[in-house]
Amino acid sequence: MAGSSFVYVTYIRSPREKVWEALTKPEYQKIYWFGGYQESTWKAGAEWKMFMPEHGLTDSGEILESDPPNRIVIKWRNEFRPNLKEEGYARCVMELAQEADLTKLTITHTIDKENSQFIQAVSGGWPRILSSLQSYLETGRAHGDTRAPAEAKK
Amino acid sequence: MNSFVYVTYIQATPQKVWDAITKPDVTRQFWMHTNDSDWKAGSDWRHTRLDGDTVDVQGKVLESDPPKRLIISWFAPHKAANPELHSRVQFDISEHKPGIARLEVSHTDLQPDVLNGVSIGWPQVLSNMKSLLETGKAASMW
Repeated sequence: MAGSSFVYVTYIRSPREKVWEALTKPEYQKIYWFGGYQESTWKAGAEWKMFMPEHGLTDSGEILESDPPNRIVIKWRNEFRPNLKEEGYARCVMELAQEADLTKLTITHTIDKENSQFIQAVSGGWPRILSSLQSYLETGRAHGDTRAPAEAKK
Repeated sequence: MNSFVYVTYIQATPQKVWDAITKPDVTRQFWMHTNDSDWKAGSDWRHTRLDGDTVDVQGKVLESDPPKRLIISWFAPHKAANPELHSRVQFDISEHKPGIARLEVSHTDLQPDVLNGVSIGWPQVLSNMKSLLETGKAASMW
């Protein structure tokens, strides 16, 4: 298959609606996403923007599909690292499935470019973000900033 | 050859993560199996169902450096005589920051049919390990 992709699956002991809320509401995002948050109405066709405290706008795009609390598809481009921005738009699919008392959350991030630096960057980020999300929803305690110092500065 | 890599961060010490992989009393709570070995390089290891009899996976301990690194070979018992069908699992555990361990599981040399299974299995097992270590409770659905 042409292009690059990253897939991550995690199982969270929390109802799907709670996971959806944590993924889409800034007050929750700030807790587990290193202080960052996203702005969108989360309706198909809506703008989507991500902000980090140390950078301002970091990523932007559009909601391509939205089916709460099951599925979101985001057209996603990095805005603050020129080498990533020039790779253009990626596609991020978030799928939530209830399995007994667990939510199976699958993130599939793809771009139509071989050896994508953008996909390499998100491959490091998603495990940190989603581990922190799982901790927050299960214990009330997120991980704080787990980025390496150099990454936080970039 | 195929590979599968999964990284997770756990609010625990590296020793607790090591114990979760290697100590039957912990492993049985989130993996529905025990991993049985003395975890010394060259020893055998077995992935045994909770009935205590049925071995689903086995292999050798290739490298052991508690609590930082464990490398094992991994194959179903009926593939024991076919080394070309054996896969390899490497666990790397580090303290990512105080109170948070980083665990990377790298499963390599995978035949396509085994890749499918472990791609489903590792996220279930490792999410459940994280739940157990952080909350004291794991799901029992697998």
